[in-house]
Amino acid sequence: MMDAGRHPNIEVLTNSELVRFEGRAGNFRATVKKYPRYVDEALCTGCGQCVNDCPVIVPNEFEVGMGARKAIYSPFPQAVPNTYIIDRVNCLNDQFLVCTNCQKSCDRDAIRYDDIGEEIELHVGAVVVATGFDVYEASRIPSYGYGLYHNVLTNMELERVLNASGPTRGHIVRPSDHKVPKKIAFIQCVGSRGEGKEAGCEYCSRFCCMNAVKDCMLVKQHEPDIEELLLFYIDLRAAGKGFEEFYQRSLDMPELKYIRGRPSKIMEDPETKDIFVYVEDVETGKVDKIRVSMAILSAGAVAAAANPDLANVLGIELDENGFFEVETRYGSPLHTARQGVYICGCAAGVNDVSDSVSQGSGAAAEAEKFIEKIPVETEPVEIKELDTSGPPKVGVFLCHCGINIAGVLDIDSLKEYAESIPDVAYVENNLFLCSDEGQRLMQNKVVEHGLNRVVAAACTPRTHEPVFQESCEQIGLNPYLFEMVNVRDQCSWVHTGVPEIATEKAKEMIKLGVAKARHLQPLYRKSIPVNQSALIIGGGVAGMAAALELDAQGMKVYLIEKEGRLGGRLNNLTRVYPANLSAFELARVMVEKVKASRVEAMAGTEVTGITGYVGNFDVATTNGNFKVGTIVLATGAGIYEPKDEFGYGKFDNVITNQELEDILHDTKGKIQIHGDTPKNVVFIQCVGSRDAETNPGCSRYCCPTTIKQAIRLRESGVNVTVLHRDMRTVGAKAEEHYRRARELGVKFLRYTPQRLPLVTGKDNRATSVEILELALDRILDVDTDYVVLAAGMVPNEASTAKLQDILKVPRGADGFFMERHAKLGPVETTSEGVFLAGCVSGPKDIADSLAQGSAAAAKVASIISRDTVNLEPTTCIIEPSLCRACSMCVDMCEYHAPSLVDIAPGLRAAQINQALCKGCGTCASWCPTGAIVALHFTDQQINSMLDALLLDRV
Amino acid sequence: MAQRPGKANGVLVLGGGITGIQAALDLAASQAKVYLVEKTPSLGGRMAQLDKTFPTMDCAI
Repeated sequence: MMDAGRHPNIEVLTNSELVRFEGRAGNFRATVKKYPRYVDEALCTGCGQCVNDCPVIVPNEFEVGMGARKAIYSPFPQAVPNTYIIDRVNCLNDQFLVCTNCQKSCDRDAIRYDDIGEEIELHVGAVVVATGFDVYEASRIPSYGYGLYHNVLTNMELERVLNASGPTRGHIVRPSDHKVPKKIAFIQCVGSRGEGKEAGCEYCSRFCCMNAVKDCMLVKQHEPDIEELLLFYIDLRAAGKGFEEFYQRSLDMPELKYIRGRPSKIMEDPETKDIFVYVEDVETGKVDKIRVSMAILSAGAVAAAANPDLANVLGIELDENGFFEVETRYGSPLHTARQGVYICGCAAGVNDVSDSVSQGSGAAAEAEKFIEKIPVETEPVEIKELDTSGPPKVGVFLCHCGINIAGVLDIDSLKEYAESIPDVAYVENNLFLCSDEGQRLMQNKVVEHGLNRVVAAACTPRTHEPVFQESCEQIGLNPYLFEMVNVRDQCSWVHTGVPEIATEKAKEMIKLGVAKARHLQPLYRKSIPVNQSALIIGGGVAGMAAALELDAQGMKVYLIEKEGRLGGRLNNLTRVYPANLSAFELARVMVEKVKASRVEAMAGTEVTGITGYVGNFDVATTNGNFKVGTIVLATGAGIYEPKDEFGYGKFDNVITNQELEDILHDTKGKIQIHGDTPKNVVFIQCVGSRDAETNPGCSRYCCPTTIKQAIRLRESGVNVTVLHRDMRTVGAKAEEHYRRARELGVKFLRYTPQRLPLVTGKDNRATSVEILELALDRILDVDTDYVVLAAGMVPNEASTAKLQDILKVPRGADGFFMERHAKLGPVETTSEGVFLAGCVSGPKDIADSLAQGSAAAAKVASIISRDTVNLEPTTCIIEPSLCRACSMCVDMCEYHAPSLVDIAPGLRAAQINQALCKGCGTCASWCPTGAIVALHFTDQQINSMLDALLLDRV
Repeated sequence: MAQRPGKANGVLVLGGGITGIQAALDLAASQAKVYLVEKTPSLGGRMAQLDKTFPTMDCAI
C-alpha cells in the first residue's frame, strides 16, 4: 500500500471517481472527479492536532461502526495518503454557530472549508477495473437477528475486534457486557449459497470458510480461556494452496467443533443476552437448540453498489449478480467486452487474495499492450548522502505494532534499557512505526539528532525491512546502516504467556542489534545490463498466455514445450467451464495466435541446463542454446494415478475423470463408454487429494469438473450419484452449476475418510458402491455401471525435480514450486528473474491459469522493459591476497557463484560472481583462511553480537 | 521496442485495494504512468480492515 503511495510513476487520486470516459483502446479520455477533502494534501503533515480539537464524534466506518472518529479524521493509522479529511455531513463549520476549531489548531494552515474539489482530465491507453465488492448486509436475514441482538456480530466486525488497533485493542469481548465470551458460534454462508431472495446470493463467496477457520484460531490465541468454538457450515471449502492443510491443523484444536448444518434461526436470551442457535446437524439428523455467548455471521460478498453507475460510464455490462461481466470468449477472466478495459479481483466475482493479486498483475499485462511506454519524467531527485563516517550514533525505534508487541512487552522498560546502551543517542517509540507518520518520525529524528545508525525493534524484516530501508534512503542515510530486530515474532508472539521474560529477551535482542549496528558499513547496489527477452517453459494455457502477452508488448519470447505440440492439458479436455467453451477450439485459437506471432515456439524441446542470473541467463535446450533475461516456469502438474483404490485396476469399469474426459472427447459427445450406454454412474471425489499419504492438499479442480461431467451425463438420461466429502465448487459460476446438477436430479451423498465407499462387483465389472448414509446411519448400495474417480492434481514429479535442480527454486511440502509469498507474490519465486504460472505452483483451473500466465508476463515485463537491473549488495566478496585457491567455496556453493581465476601469471584465486551470489554466507563460514567476507554479516559484526550476548560486552 | 505513435502512456486503475495496488505497481514497474483512483479517502480496501491473512497469518496491512 505504501509502495503505491511512494512510487514516482503512480499518481494516487483518493476520494475520487471516474465520471466520464470516451475513446478507444490506446487512446481513452477519462475524467476523474476528485471530491473535496477540505484539507490541503500538499500542506497537511498528518500531525493529528486538528483531531484533538474537533468537537464532533461519529461512528468510524473503518471499524465497521464499532469505534468512533471525529468529523476531521484519518481513516486508519497507516492510511495512504495520510492527509486528513473533513466529513462535511457531520462537520459543524456550516452550522449556525460556525466551528473553526480545526482551522485554528492547524499550524500549517491546511484547512480549506471552501474546497470544491476538481475534475481531472486524463489521457490513458487502458483501464484496469479493480473496484472490489461490498459485504452482504446481514440484517437482510431477519431470522438471524443481526442488528437486533447485541451479541451477534459479522465476520468483518470480528476482524476489527481481533485487530490490535481495533476498537477493543484486540480483546474479544461481548458487546452486551464487555466480558470475554465462553462459547462462540460461527455461522457460514450468510448471504451466500442462498435459496430464494431473502437468503441473499446463489453463489459461494469463497473466502468465508477459510476466514472463519482463521478467526477461530486467532480467537483462541487472543483469549486462551475460551471454552468452545462451534463452526456451522454446509461444505468446508478449503480450496486453495495450503488451505486444506490449514484446515486440517484447525482440527487439532480441542475447543473447535465443526457442525454440518445451516442454522434456521437465532434467538437471544433476554436476560443473559446469550444467543440460541437452532440447527439441524445433517450428519446426525439431530435438531438442537444450542446456547452460546456470542455468534459471528460469515457475511458473504455482493457486487458493489456503485457497479451500475461505473458500468454505465465505462460502457461495459454487468452479469446477473451485478458484478462486471467477463468476456469469456478467450477463457481468460480478465477481459470485458470493451477492448482496453480489463477487470480483476472481486469486481468480476468473488476471489480470494492470492487469485486477486494474480489477476491484478494479469490485468496490468493486458493494459500494457495499449500504452506507449516512455520513461516517465520523474527521475529520482539526487539525494545527498549523509556523512556517517564519525563514531556511531545509534537511534533505536521501538514499535508497538498496536498491541502485537506492546500488549506483551513492557515498552517503557525497553525504552529505558535502550537509552542505557552505549552509543545510543536517541530512543523513540511509536504505535505503528510502519505508518507514514511513524516513518516520518524516524526520518526527522535521524536528521535532527545526527544519527548515523538506525535500529528498529519491530516486526519481521521479511515484509518490513524494505520499507524502513527506503525511508533511510530518502533522507540520504545508506539503507545498509539500518538494522531490524524482530521482537514481535521472536518475543511477543512466541512468549505471550510470560511477558517479563519476553521483555528481557527483547532487551537482549536490542542490545545485539545495537552491537551489530555499530559496525555496519554503507553498501551500494550495483546495476547490470538486462537481456530483454524471456524463456517460457511449458506450452500449456499458462505458458501460451504469458508468451502472447509479452509478444504483444513487443518483447522477444522463447516458448518451449516438451510434448510434440502446444496446448498442454487443453488437448485432453472436451469442454471448459464456466462458459462451456470447446477446449479444442480454445487450444486451436491460442496455438494459432502463437504461430502467427513472433514468439519462437519450439515443441518437442526440453531444457538441458540453465546458468546465469536475473537479466542474463544462458539456456541450453535439446533444440539449441540462447540467452534470456527472465524465465517463466509453466510446466503444469500431473494427475494422480490411482493405485488400487475403489477397485481401480481390478474392475474394468472403474475409470478416472480424465479417462471419462477422453471418452467424451472421442465419442464426440455421445454418452457411450466402451461401446455401451451406461444407466448408472457413480463419481467418487477426493481420490488422491485431502489424504495425508498421497496428497494432503485439495486439488480444487475436481469438484467443478465432476459437476461438469455429471451434468453432461445426466442430460443424456444417466442416473448420476456423486460421493464426496465436501462439494468445493468455488470457481466462477461453479456453485450455480452445482445447483443446476441438483435440479437435474444428480444425487449427492457425503462420505467421511473414516468410512470410505466400497466398490463391489463380479469378475472384472463393478456393480455397486456401498456407502454409509450419515443422517440415516444406514448402509446404502448404489447400483452402478461405471465408477468415475475424481483424481487429484499432483506435482509433475519428473519435470519439477529437474527444474528445481537446474534453477534452485524451492518446492513446498506439497511438492509444488513455492511462491515468494502465498498471498502477495503468487507468481514470483525467491530466485530473481524466475516466475511461476499455472499449475506448476499448485492446482488451478483454466481461467486461473490464464490469469497467472498474464500475471507472470507483467512480472517479466517489469524486468525486461528496462536496460538494467539492480543487484542487492549483501553478497560475499573475496580478499585475493588471503585466498589459497583451495576451491572449497567453489565446491560447496549451491548457486555456482565462486570460480577459480588467474589473478596474476601463475597465481590463482577464487572470485565470486556478484550477480549469482545470494549472500547466504556458507562459503564465508567455511573459508579456512578467512578470505571471504559476507557483506552486512561480517565476522566483526557477528562477533560483536556474540560478545554482547555471551560476555555482556556492550 | 517498436514505437506506436499516438498512444497514451498512462493507465487508469480504478480501485485502490490489494488488486488495484498490485496492478498499479506492476504497471509502474514496467514504466507506465499510472493513475490510481480510489473512491474512499485512503488506499487499502478490504484487506486493510482484516487482521491477519490465512494460511500464513501475516499481517494484512
